[in-house]
Amino acid sequence: MTDPVHAKPDDRTLVRIRGLTTVLSGKTVFDKLDMDIPRGKVTAIMGPSGTGKTTLLKHITGQMRGDVGEVRVDGLNVPELSRDELFELRERIGYLFQNSALLTDFDVFENVAFPLRQHTKLPEVLIRNIVLTKLQAVGLRGAASLTPSELSGGMARRVALARAIVFDPMLILYDEPFVGLDPIALNQVLKLIRTLNETLGITSVLVAHELEAIKQVADHIYLIANGKVVAQGDPKTIADDGSPWTRQFFGGDADGPVPFQYPADDYAQALGFKQGAA
Amino acid sequence: MSAQVGRENVVLQSLAQIGACGLFLLRILAALPRSLRHAGETVRQLWFVGAMSLIIIMTCGLFVGLVLGLQLYYVLAIFGGTSATGSVVALAIYRELGPVVTGLLFAGRAGTSITAEIGLMRATDQIAAMEMMAVDPIAYVAAPRFLAGLIAMPLLCCVFCAMGIFGGHLVGVSWLGVDNGTFWSNMTANVDLWKDVINSVIWKSAAFGAVISLIAVFQGYTTAPTSEGVAYATTRTVVASSIAILALDFVLTAFLM
Amino acid sequence: MSQRKSYAVGTGLFIVLGFAALAYLATQTTSVANSHQGVSYTVDAQFANVGQLKEGAPVKVAGVRVGQVQSIALEPGKDVADVTLSIDKKYAQIPTDSVATIYTSGLLGDQYVGVQFGGAKTYVANGGHIGLTKSTQPLEDMLGKFLGGGSAADAIGGTYSVTANFTNVGALAVGAPVKMAGVAIGSVASVKADPVKLNALVTMDIDKKYSQIPDDSAAAIFTSGLIGSQYVAIQPGGSPNSLKDGDQLILTQSAVQLEDLIGKFLVSGSPNSGSNAGNNGNNANNGPSNSPAGKH
Repeated sequence: MTDPVHAKPDDRTLVRIRGLTTVLSGKTVFDKLDMDIPRGKVTAIMGPSGTGKTTLLKHITGQMRGDVGEVRVDGLNVPELSRDELFELRERIGYLFQNSALLTDFDVFENVAFPLRQHTKLPEVLIRNIVLTKLQAVGLRGAASLTPSELSGGMARRVALARAIVFDPMLILYDEPFVGLDPIALNQVLKLIRTLNETLGITSVLVAHELEAIKQVADHIYLIANGKVVAQGDPKTIADDGSPWTRQFFGGDADGPVPFQYPADDYAQALGFKQGAA
Repeated sequence: MSAQVGRENVVLQSLAQIGACGLFLLRILAALPRSLRHAGETVRQLWFVGAMSLIIIMTCGLFVGLVLGLQLYYVLAIFGGTSATGSVVALAIYRELGPVVTGLLFAGRAGTSITAEIGLMRATDQIAAMEMMAVDPIAYVAAPRFLAGLIAMPLLCCVFCAMGIFGGHLVGVSWLGVDNGTFWSNMTANVDLWKDVINSVIWKSAAFGAVISLIAVFQGYTTAPTSEGVAYATTRTVVASSIAILALDFVLTAFLM
Repeated sequence: MSQRKSYAVGTGLFIVLGFAALAYLATQTTSVANSHQGVSYTVDAQFANVGQLKEGAPVKVAGVRVGQVQSIALEPGKDVADVTLSIDKKYAQIPTDSVATIYTSGLLGDQYVGVQFGGAKTYVANGGHIGLTKSTQPLEDMLGKFLGGGSAADAIGGTYSVTANFTNVGALAVGAPVKMAGVAIGSVASVKADPVKLNALVTMDIDKKYSQIPDDSAAAIFTSGLIGSQYVAIQPGGSPNSLKDGDQLILTQSAVQLEDLIGKFLVSGSPNSGSNAGNNGNNANNGPSNSPAGKH
């Protein structure tokens, strides 16, 4: 919270969110949220379901715009970008969708080649080399001719990852990359995230629930709830900061600051045991 | 699409839909220059909505021609005018049945598949993924399908009409014994190139093609991203296109005749 | 990539097929087909009446198309139509004494020019002239002869009026001609429903010139031509007394549905009693010459 005005490209912070407030259909999703995502690190965003973690990623990519506040990515204030500037920025961001979102019209090869074909006029040989390199990196070069429907969930996610890194982006956003994966596939994806970060220095933002996996891969963890950052720190220290939020979340307690009961009127009154029921 | 819409809001909602559809058309038109970069995609869509509809269009065209030949022959026989079978079959097909039946078939065959495809692309985040890959989905997904429908319909309608004439000839000449030369000379004497073929077959079917593919793309693009939403949007595509075709047919006939 | 290419080829085939269909529709089924023919030469012929003959109508020899009508013009100062025929070069040998006739193909068909070859050894040259022609036979004339119709009503002088009751006047209108032997002798003055007899009362004004009509004559409602209007035909009886002003014709024959008549005639149905329309059981082949069976 030192320099809210401008983050220089050589700054250690790649994504800087200041005072972000978003209200969606009457519900406050973010309430003056501040967050810094360091360059070249793996940052995990955790929090109870429904706290708007995916929404936060959409704010970073400009798919959604907050009501108030700024979201600076590499110095550019995303909510103020024009469509063309936004598209330019997105070419430098990879995004891994929860359900992979492979284009069902194309086979694996064409899916990975899609961004290249759309944004470049590279010769076919070069496209082929780039795509095969990326597929090799995720270990699926042999699956190049399969269609998305022939892939397992883990494979689809790795293909989507290959597609996300085809332009060697500065930032990759992972939206729940571990959901629905068996332990083997989970570890494969985990390894890829780590490798991509270490070898290419790609800044990674991870939205996930799998605590053990995140402890292995993340450099920094943000815990958000009720539209605010309630705790942050590296994986070793965050659980020990003593706040009720971290205690409940990392301890996995059913009740706590995140209530077991969805907000409702008085129980006894609803059942008609109390005077004053209608 | 809020679930609870009062009955009194149905009219307002329909108006809102039409308005949204019109705005969507503007977005497509604005994206057309950009979609030229995706010409390959338009060609691919032309294959799906056009070439893949050929079989059903040809079959239906043949049967429409056969039944027209049969019906008209017997009606004309009452007045001793069976020599006019050729021209009446041709005029009926060119002016009305060709564009309208092709349009209805096209809405059922191609319109629904466009809606379902785009709806599923939305449901599986493929549209969002394109946005994220800095590819404009209007230019890449919507506009090529719209263009493909616009181009495919007149071509399909021509094929339908040709098959219809063939069917009418088959029944009239080969089966019921109308003289071959009479059949053709009567047709060529009464069918006008501009009025019947260009104005009716070409313009009408192009207009139908634009309307059907616009509705189909719009419904797919704005569908609720659930399997129920996709099913609902598909149904609406058929209903809305059919009504639009028949209403537009009346208007166009009044203006083009 | 090969995937993309197969789409392109298939789509190309589809587009070619579509345009081929369009070309077929445009050139083979429209009037454009008629203008496409080989090298042609022209001859002309004069007709007293071209009827509904149109430019582009076929010219046929022995029922086979050899060319088309290029132009139809009226020569100023003459009352004959000058028709120019454009005939395919390969049918160039038309004898000079050939006859050009305007025919109608079928009852509802269009008209065309038929050429019957003569026996002359010389042929009509390019730009030449077919001297012998037969004009169109108006269908109305033919049907008129057949049905007993005549020409339109003449101008009429002083009149006297007679009345007649019909069970059905069809589409008989006020002002319709009253004819005897096909010649107009008067007109219908009024058509009213008779409140007592519950049938139609027709008042006719008849020219004073024709005062010798027997008072037992019959009145019948006929149609002139296939799509013509209806008129009243007076069929003279044998009484020595003549009709006077205000008299009523007792013997009447109501309108016959034309559709019935033509239907029977064209489809050659067997005679039956056409009692649905008129009170006379005529079948069409008997026509008006049949003596009317009156009804009160």
